[in-house]
Amino acid sequence: MTEYLLYPGCVASVRELGYEMAMRAVFKRLDVKLRQRDDFNCCMPACLVHSVDYKRGLALTSRNLAIAEEEDLPLMTLCSSCFGNLSRAKYLLDSNQDLRRDVNKLLGEVGREYRGKARVEHVVTSIYKDYGPDGVREMSVKPLSGVRAAPFYGCHLFLPQRYSGFDDAEFPQKLDRLIEATGAESVDYHEKTSCCIGCGSFFGDVSEEAGLKLAEIILDDVKASGADAIVATCPFCMMQLEVGQIKLREAKGKEYGIPVIHYVDAFGLSLGVEPSELGLDLRRISVSPLLQKLGRD
Amino acid sequence: MVEVKELLSRLLDENKLSYCQDCGSCTGSCPMAKALPGKYNPRRLLQRVSHDLPDLLRSEELWLCAWCYRCTERCPQGIQPTEIFLLTRNLASEEGRIPKNPKAIIREIMRSGRSVSVPDGFDEWREGYGLPPIGMTISPKAIEEQRKIFGEELLRRLDA
Repeated sequence: MTEYLLYPGCVASVRELGYEMAMRAVFKRLDVKLRQRDDFNCCMPACLVHSVDYKRGLALTSRNLAIAEEEDLPLMTLCSSCFGNLSRAKYLLDSNQDLRRDVNKLLGEVGREYRGKARVEHVVTSIYKDYGPDGVREMSVKPLSGVRAAPFYGCHLFLPQRYSGFDDAEFPQKLDRLIEATGAESVDYHEKTSCCIGCGSFFGDVSEEAGLKLAEIILDDVKASGADAIVATCPFCMMQLEVGQIKLREAKGKEYGIPVIHYVDAFGLSLGVEPSELGLDLRRISVSPLLQKLGRD
Repeated sequence: MVEVKELLSRLLDENKLSYCQDCGSCTGSCPMAKALPGKYNPRRLLQRVSHDLPDLLRSEELWLCAWCYRCTERCPQGIQPTEIFLLTRNLASEEGRIPKNPKAIIREIMRSGRSVSVPDGFDEWREGYGLPPIGMTISPKAIEEQRKIFGEELLRRLDA
C-alpha cells in the first residue's frame, strides 16, 4: 500500500478546505494511506523568515525534513510553496556540507538532525510518479470529454528545476499530460506558466496591486482561449485567480466566470468521485457551468 | 558559524556578479517587473547590491521579489538573483529594517506555528466538511522548538 506523510501546510488547511477535501477523497479512492503528525512547523516561505535570517530560516524549514526522516516516509505537500521551500532546503543542504553542518548545529539544540534522506513530493508530483498519465487514463471511469481545461502550473512545482526536479523549466508538459489523461482537452495559452505572486509577495498594497494586475493578464488570456476552467496545482494560485475575478468585477465590471479547480478535482471527477465529496461547492467562483457540461451537476 | 556577509560575498563571487552582461533576462522574466513597470527592476537591483548597498537596505524595492525563480533559472551567467536578494534582505534585517507586513506574518508564525491564523471554532467548521481537526495539530512542543531555533535575538527584533 502506498503511504505518504502528509504535510498539510497553512493555506490549504485553513483557506482551501475544498482542495483538502478533494485530496483526501481522491487518495481514499486510490487506497493511499496518509500519515499525519502534530509537530510540523510552517514551511517558512523564503520571502519571510529566510529573508530575516538565512540560516535560521533554513533550519526551521529543515526541521520538517528531519521529522520526515524519523517516519521514513516521503512528505507530501498540498501547496506548491511548501513543496518549493522544502525542496530548496533539501537541495541547499545536500549540496553544501558547511551549510548542513551549521543548520544541524541549530537543529541539534532541539535534539534533531537532517541526514539527507528526506524525500519531498507534492500532490501532483506524487500522482505523476505513482500513476502517470497512463495510470490516470486507465482508472478513468467518467472521462471529462468535451471539457477544455487551461492548465496553470504555478511556479514552485517546476521552478527552479534544480530544486524541484519535476518538469522542464521552460516548457513544462506534465500537467498537460495528466489533464489529457482525464479525458479533457488541455488548452494551450500564453500565460500557462506565469506567476501569480500569491505565495511570494507580502508587502501590502504594492503586492496587492501587482497581484491583481497579473491576475487580469492571466484571466484575459484564459478567457480568450475559450477554456471552460482553469486547472491549477497550488492553493495560492487558486486563491489569486478566484479572488482576482471577484475584485476585477468590483473594480472594472469585468465578468470572467471562469471556474478554478485543482488537478485533484479533475482527477477525482474522472475517477467517478462525486462533486460534493470534492468540495467543489466551496469554490469562490461557481463550477456549475463545468459540471453542467459534464452532466454531473 | 558562517556569517551572512560571508555567505553573500561567496555567492556573489561564485556566481560572478561582476560578469553580469546587463542582458536583462532577469527583468524580462520577472512577473513583478511586468506588474510594476518603473517600480521594480531586478537587473538594476543587482547593480545596487554592488554599488549602492546602504540605500538599497532602506528601500522598498528590496522586498518586492516574489520568489518565482525565473531569473535564477534563466540567467546566462548563472547568477542567482533570488538567493542574492534574500541574503541582502538579511543585512537589512540586521539593521532592524524588517517591513511591517512580513514582520507581522513572521510574528504569527512564531506564535502559532502557521503563517495563516486559524479563526476560533475552525475545527467545528472543518468537521462539518468531514475534515479532521487542525486547531491543535501544531503541538505546543513544536512551537517551543521553533522559537528556540529562531532564537531570542530575532524574537526581540520582531518586537522592536
